[in-house]
Amino acid sequence: MSSMENNGPNYLPSPQRCTGDALIEMAQITKTFKNAAGEFTALKGMTACFYPGEFVSVVGKSGSGKSTLVNMITGIDHPTSGSVRVGDTYVHTLSESDMSVWRGANLGIVFQFFQLLPTLSLLENVMLPMYLGGGFTPTQREGRALSLLKLVGLEGLENKLPAAVSGGQQQCAAIARALANDPPILIADEPTGNLDPRTAEDVFDLFAALIDQGKTILMVTHDISLAGRTTRTLLLSDGELINPWVASALPDLGHSQMLWLTHHLEPRVIQPSAEPPVLDASGDWLILVTAGRLELSGHSGHPDAQARRRLGPGSFLSSLSLQKEGGGRSSLNLEADEPVELLVVEGPEFQRWLSQNPANRLALEGAEWRPDQAVLEAASHSSSGWNS
Amino acid sequence: MRRPRFQKVISDLWSNRMRSLLVVASIAVGLFALGVMTTIYFVALGDMQRGYAAANPSNITIQSSLFDQDLVKGIEEVPGVRRAEGARLFSTRLEASRGEWIAISIHAMQDPGQMQINQVQLEQGVWPPGDKEIVIDRYKMPQTNARLGDMVTIEIPSGKTRQLKLVGVVHDETIGAFRNAGGFFNAPVQGYINQETLKWLDQPSPDRFDTLFVTVEGDSKDTAHLESVATSVRDKVEKNNAQITSAMLRSSDEHPNLYLARAVLVVLVMIGVLVVFLSGFLITNTLQALLKQQVQQIGILKSVGARQIQIVSIYMLLSLLYGLLALAIALPLSLQVAFLIIDFLTVQLNTTFYGFRLVPQVILLEAAIAILMPQIAALVPLWQGTHISVQEALSGIHQDRPRKRGWLDRLIGKLRNLSLPLVVSLRNTFRRKGRLALTLVTLTLGGAVFIATFNVRVSLMDYIDRIIQYFLADVNVTLEQPYRIDEIDRLIKDVPGVKMVEGWAIARTELVLPDGSVGESASLLAPPAGSTLVKPIIVEGRWIEPGDQNAIALNELFRERYPNLRVGDTIRLRVNGDDKNWVVVGFYQMAGKVSGFSAYTSYEYLSTLIHQSGRAASFRVVSSQPGLNRSQQEELGRAIEARLAQSGIKVVDLTTGQSLSQTASNGFNVLTAFLLFMALLTASVGSIGLAGTMSLNVMERTREIGVLRAIGASNRTLMRMVLAEGMLIGMLSWFLASLAAFPISILMANGLSRSLFGGPSNFGFTPVGFAIWMAAVVVLSVLASVMPARNATRLTIREVLAYE
Repeated sequence: MSSMENNGPNYLPSPQRCTGDALIEMAQITKTFKNAAGEFTALKGMTACFYPGEFVSVVGKSGSGKSTLVNMITGIDHPTSGSVRVGDTYVHTLSESDMSVWRGANLGIVFQFFQLLPTLSLLENVMLPMYLGGGFTPTQREGRALSLLKLVGLEGLENKLPAAVSGGQQQCAAIARALANDPPILIADEPTGNLDPRTAEDVFDLFAALIDQGKTILMVTHDISLAGRTTRTLLLSDGELINPWVASALPDLGHSQMLWLTHHLEPRVIQPSAEPPVLDASGDWLILVTAGRLELSGHSGHPDAQARRRLGPGSFLSSLSLQKEGGGRSSLNLEADEPVELLVVEGPEFQRWLSQNPANRLALEGAEWRPDQAVLEAASHSSSGWNS
Repeated sequence: MRRPRFQKVISDLWSNRMRSLLVVASIAVGLFALGVMTTIYFVALGDMQRGYAAANPSNITIQSSLFDQDLVKGIEEVPGVRRAEGARLFSTRLEASRGEWIAISIHAMQDPGQMQINQVQLEQGVWPPGDKEIVIDRYKMPQTNARLGDMVTIEIPSGKTRQLKLVGVVHDETIGAFRNAGGFFNAPVQGYINQETLKWLDQPSPDRFDTLFVTVEGDSKDTAHLESVATSVRDKVEKNNAQITSAMLRSSDEHPNLYLARAVLVVLVMIGVLVVFLSGFLITNTLQALLKQQVQQIGILKSVGARQIQIVSIYMLLSLLYGLLALAIALPLSLQVAFLIIDFLTVQLNTTFYGFRLVPQVILLEAAIAILMPQIAALVPLWQGTHISVQEALSGIHQDRPRKRGWLDRLIGKLRNLSLPLVVSLRNTFRRKGRLALTLVTLTLGGAVFIATFNVRVSLMDYIDRIIQYFLADVNVTLEQPYRIDEIDRLIKDVPGVKMVEGWAIARTELVLPDGSVGESASLLAPPAGSTLVKPIIVEGRWIEPGDQNAIALNELFRERYPNLRVGDTIRLRVNGDDKNWVVVGFYQMAGKVSGFSAYTSYEYLSTLIHQSGRAASFRVVSSQPGLNRSQQEELGRAIEARLAQSGIKVVDLTTGQSLSQTASNGFNVLTAFLLFMALLTASVGSIGLAGTMSLNVMERTREIGVLRAIGASNRTLMRMVLAEGMLIGMLSWFLASLAAFPISILMANGLSRSLFGGPSNFGFTPVGFAIWMAAVVVLSVLASVMPARNATRLTIREVLAYE
């Protein structure tokens, strides 16, 4: 898998139901904040899972709920409803104090603004969680802290105070601190948000190395290029996870438009033995293949149009493309050798979506004039879709 | 029209109510303390003088052999005399309970209802007393165990008793006025009767007087005028063949306990100045912290065009509002508390309290301090706070992010075995050195004054011990008339447990000044040669030695009143009407103003002078068993009295050594109670300082607390860290307070001693104050830290790290 290469984000898979070996499971999480202005729901019934060894990025615009999602996992905040399981612990049921203790032993948190204690040296900052967690003997603490500082490239700077080192060095020290009690999971909230690009790169490489060592990392970022280098990306908008198929197939859409599609695309299944449906070019529809492989056959007036077209998981086709490929009435037969799962929006709903934003039509049209549209391979965990 | 600047001030005040409360409390506590002290200063002394003057007190009091009303009338014709009244004063005993007799001093007047000098205020019952009736002063009324309407039993000269009906309770502010200073506390029960009752009590010549009360025209504070009139009065008395035994002069505003009130005021002023200072520190500390929290807002203001002066004016307005809020709280509270204290002091010092009222000087002073002090305290931190650049303010680069370790941090780092959370606490304690210093100053001074109070009490008690050195007998017996010493010695030694009996000669004497006028009256005491019942504290010269003839040792008051008087000088004293020269052989220290003028000479010489050789009316008895307590001494006294009564010898007064000690210390109880209150007030200022500092420290470190939570710190860990910091500050302050207590104790003790005794004190110290303050500091530190610690544990990480 080329998740570490600088490609676009990999939004797949995000299963609707978590499998038994999920390390972190978030089920139907809703989080509502009450303030003077009224109520604001930051997360709306979200379900997500994370598996051991994954390097997952959470992206979204400001206010989309990324940090709130992460706060649910770290216990920094509690859901209004829903459950959060990390390992064997339902963290949303713990008290603040118990949560702190559990967090110290099981999670390492890296903050955007480093959050080192200013009166402690880098070495002391790294040692501090060991004192709080009690997992290492007093004689082991200093040695371990020194080796962690060496791991993050800060050998020789252990007695410096945070204010005496650069931002990148502080962030590396914060990563070393997060690793102090050898937690299986690292949570990083905008870890490179306050760093220059070069330093950000160094920090990211550190994360990559930790993944290779078997850690599981969940990283919040608004940097799409960084997200593209992780195993998997969750895209949030307005407190909800965008359907990964939509995000993957139509990356040029605005997030709110993606979210609309997420809400309105309906699942369909085409059985191989069934009478293949006919797609009418004069209609209004958009189909997105999520499983199986579809063959399209039929007449299209466009000189470049292929007589037969194959659509695999991640591929989409809309009535706009048929209309563009050839004028007049055309149709396509859908044939399948195996059950094909689709997401479909059609009719007035599709029209309404098109009319919401001119960019939607452009996004469909722009995507369709790529004749070598790649068929995205589903990851091994792909099942029946996403959470909607 | 909306005014954003004013809106900002109001929202700053209201949005962080905890912080506003702290600032207001810091100012209010200082205002409160100042208000209490200044109210007492202005009111207590004024009411004392006013109340005493209202009693129309005697300016010249002459005690002599018996004289009649004609002399009294004649005295009124002496130039300078406004009014003269005669009275009969005698001491006897009252039966407080079965077999228990207490001393009573009875004032008998021809017509108490017509009395204009030394007027009393009726508190209960009726005035004047009728025939066979008695009225008693309120001060020692409880000792009589009697209530209004009861019959009280009085001993008469024959040794029999009479019963008088108790018909009234009065307040007599002049008690102690015609004795030496300290007379009020040493005075026995005071009773008031008419001449008919005097007759019924078998007093000889009941229609004659032995005490002349005179008020003068003009200014009684004019000492020369007073002495001039007194001389004329004395001449008149002596020309009428009355033998003067004592003469006291006193201005109409010189309350008998004025010396004590002045001592209280000395304490007030000393501690008052201190409290104002402490409060200033406290306000500075709090405002500095407040302004530090406002740095970012100041940066924003600057970035939108505000000039420094404009920003300063916003925060000055905020400081003004804080001051006014504090004034609104402190002013009424301080007046209430002050008047409660004055009410207490009024009873203790036997003065009048004219009731709650507004004191304009106090209001103006508190208002001035409330307005000015926060402004002054805020000036420096405000100027510094507004001086930083916009970039620095907005970027959040704070001064508390050190780049290098200070020596203290390095020292802490060397303590290898400390847990890191504790290291964090230690470093946090010393992180804001300015704030720590201010907090420590406040708490240290408060603690030092608190500890000093106990040490000062020890110093005061030292004076009591000094008085006792002059009265070392277990029992002091005064007989109705002089008896042969060997006879009384034999009789008393019949009583089991008696080891030694000494007969002393005692007389009243007056100093005859070089110009022939009469100066101070003094008690002249004459123990037998080689007496071990006096252990004088000689400050100059020597004590009386066997064989001395006209040698005299004077107490320190003589030195104060007559600074030119030296050892070896000859002075003229009038004893029993005879003027004689005496040679001053030494000066001794007793208890200054409290004990009054006194002198010692040899029994052998004085007894001859007063024609009582080999005889005495005053005896000192020592028990064979050392260390008797008060009740044991009283039991011995009763046995002695019974033995003497068997031989028909009447005892008119019997006091135990322990009761003398207790009576002498009664006056100081008022002072030490007051000292303790002031110490508590000062300590409160310090405590609020500590509480404020801890709250501010926690408030400023909310982000840090969030991080600690994020990396695994439990509630318990956080509580321990905050408590450790509070305890460390508390213990540091205790250590510094203990050191500072020594010079402060000396300062306070000397200040009090000079006003009470006219001389510096002997410094005394007790570990009690140190121990109590240590316990108090521990409790205060915990309390001052608990709330901020609880608040810290209740903060959610999301709140403090302000995600998104």
